[in-house]
Amino acid sequence: MQIKGLATGLAVAAGLTIPSLAMAKSPTITAIQDRGTLLCSGHNGSYFGFVEVNDQNEWKGLDIDLCRAMTTALLGDPEKAQIVPLSWAQRFPALQSGDVDVIIKATGWTMGRDTELGLQFSIPYFFGGAQFMAHGDLGITEAKDLEGGTICVEAGTTIERIAANYLQSLAVEHTMVSYEKASELRAAYLANRCDSFVAWGPFLAVLRATELENPDAHVILNDQLSNEPISAAMRQGDEDFVDFTNWMLAALLIAEEEGITSENVEEMAANPPNPKIARLLGAEPGMGERLGLRDTWAKEMIAAMGNYGEIYHRNLGENSPYKLERGLNNLWSHGGVLYAPQLD
Amino acid sequence: MADAMVSKKFDWQRFRRRSFASPTDSVITVIVFAGLAWLVWQALNWGILNAVWSADDVEQCGHGGACWSVIDARHRLILFGLYPYDEHWRSTLACLSIIGTVVISCFPWTWTAKRLSTIWIAGFAIYYLLMEGSLLGLPQVTTDQWGGLALTLFLFSSVVLIGMPMGLGLALMRRSEMPVVRGFASLVIDLIRSLPLLTTLFTAAVVIPILLPSWLEGDKIWRVIIAFGLFFACYQAEVLRGGFQAIPKGQFEAGKALGLTYWQILGRIVLPQVFRHALPATVNNVVVTFKETAIVIIIGFFDILASANAAFGTGEWAPYYIEVLAFVAAIYWVFLFGLGQYGEYLKRRMKVAER
Repeated sequence: MQIKGLATGLAVAAGLTIPSLAMAKSPTITAIQDRGTLLCSGHNGSYFGFVEVNDQNEWKGLDIDLCRAMTTALLGDPEKAQIVPLSWAQRFPALQSGDVDVIIKATGWTMGRDTELGLQFSIPYFFGGAQFMAHGDLGITEAKDLEGGTICVEAGTTIERIAANYLQSLAVEHTMVSYEKASELRAAYLANRCDSFVAWGPFLAVLRATELENPDAHVILNDQLSNEPISAAMRQGDEDFVDFTNWMLAALLIAEEEGITSENVEEMAANPPNPKIARLLGAEPGMGERLGLRDTWAKEMIAAMGNYGEIYHRNLGENSPYKLERGLNNLWSHGGVLYAPQLD
Repeated sequence: MADAMVSKKFDWQRFRRRSFASPTDSVITVIVFAGLAWLVWQALNWGILNAVWSADDVEQCGHGGACWSVIDARHRLILFGLYPYDEHWRSTLACLSIIGTVVISCFPWTWTAKRLSTIWIAGFAIYYLLMEGSLLGLPQVTTDQWGGLALTLFLFSSVVLIGMPMGLGLALMRRSEMPVVRGFASLVIDLIRSLPLLTTLFTAAVVIPILLPSWLEGDKIWRVIIAFGLFFACYQAEVLRGGFQAIPKGQFEAGKALGLTYWQILGRIVLPQVFRHALPATVNNVVVTFKETAIVIIIGFFDILASANAAFGTGEWAPYYIEVLAFVAAIYWVFLFGLGQYGEYLKRRMKVAER
């Protein structure tokens, strides 16, 4: 009740204080700039690929890099991100109480969170869903090839149903073997009791990369059976902050689309090949004013953290131990579902 | 305990009589010992003989032995959490200061109120000044970056430090002759004891900032320590109450008849006996508290268990979680075994009075 009341209060307060539309400045951004740090969510431990700690006791991961990108856009320096360790249960109350400014923590966008918890979500920056993993020596590349095979699955999960539906719609004959625990499931798969097993995609990738003796002997099939959009979560009532977060993510995607990387960003800004890039990188004015920031915020952000593709490959993709395929998390132009709103 | 073990030589005669009396006994003994030897051999094989020790040799890991490389590479994360890498000497000194404080205050000659409070305040001041740093002109490190063993030790010692006097206070209040005071103490003790620790800490860490204005919030770590300290105090108060009840009423009356004041009776006659009676349960309570500090992981503190989790939580080190957990278990064991042995020593020392 308290949380909801507070959120409503914030919403009302914010609703009354948006006089200008052109140079809107959100109270959250003002507070972040006054404080000089952006408070982001970390984890009480580690969540593979998204939030981890390196050998120098520093945070790393996809979510951490997005937080650093956001910090660079707002404050001009990725080092000004302050990562607050939070448990899963604690993340939403911590956001409401102001312990963090934003939650970027493998958090799915659901209706309950959006409405009842008083949160607002950004555009999705990651998609994860059920996928198949199979023994490499079977020569399988897609779910159609599973014809006549056995598939291991965790009992009673939504994934069990999703997989059955998916294979039925492909008219693939199969035998489903269910196990109570994830560890039993793994052992059964490794003992060749089933040809493939089905689970959350990023989990499979991490399992393959870290706990299987010979990762190359297993393939993750490209079929995406289900899909959960992962977004940044913010407090309700500060639309301008949500706008900023959306455009921050959009800028990372547009940069990848236009081939702007952390290496060539200075060069691109000096000689922009087209007006869109000129605007994005602040060679032409407009990018900053609309969000109440510097014109060069996107340029500085890309110079510090790279575009979306670079961030992905560093933490989950080919430059990480996990080697997770882009799949859905590729640009729409490369067969994924990530796309940015139009930069005009 | 220790001298008892040294003085008693191993009695082969007795061992043979007991273990090899009949053929059945002999067979069972041999089987049990063979099993034990096998276990020890396996552990030795895994932990030492086949183990890989250096972080540079990590490619050799995974051939039936422990991969202690993970400890070599990640021990600073386990010990100091998210504390800035270049400032780890401060964490090390701060840990030593707390351990030193505890060790020094274990010696009987420090057991006066003045000496104990001086030592503890000094030890704590050193810890805080080093860890926080800004008052000594070092780079400031805010409490949300404290972690690992350093944080666990800090939480544990400050909870005991705050909780002990509070527990004594509550125990005395509960024995008060004034109904209001007695009722208040009973209410506090029973209320907090009937709440789970996790709820109490979650409230302190997460709910209070939503309810209170920001200038009254204070740092999260202090809110949690105070809540945890209160929780400890309520259990300790009940432990001490048991100690009070063991003392015959006649002693109070005798003290009064001699013209001693309330505080003189308490300080010179009652409390020394109360502490002796309550000692085993107190040591128990302290040991439990040390272990329970791991619960703060739920409210986002980076204690030793959380940092251990982070240590094996990356792609390179994920397969070696057993090694990391064994390392953390060894650290817990050293501290708790030390505490337990000290409790034994105290018990023997205090028995002198009963002879």
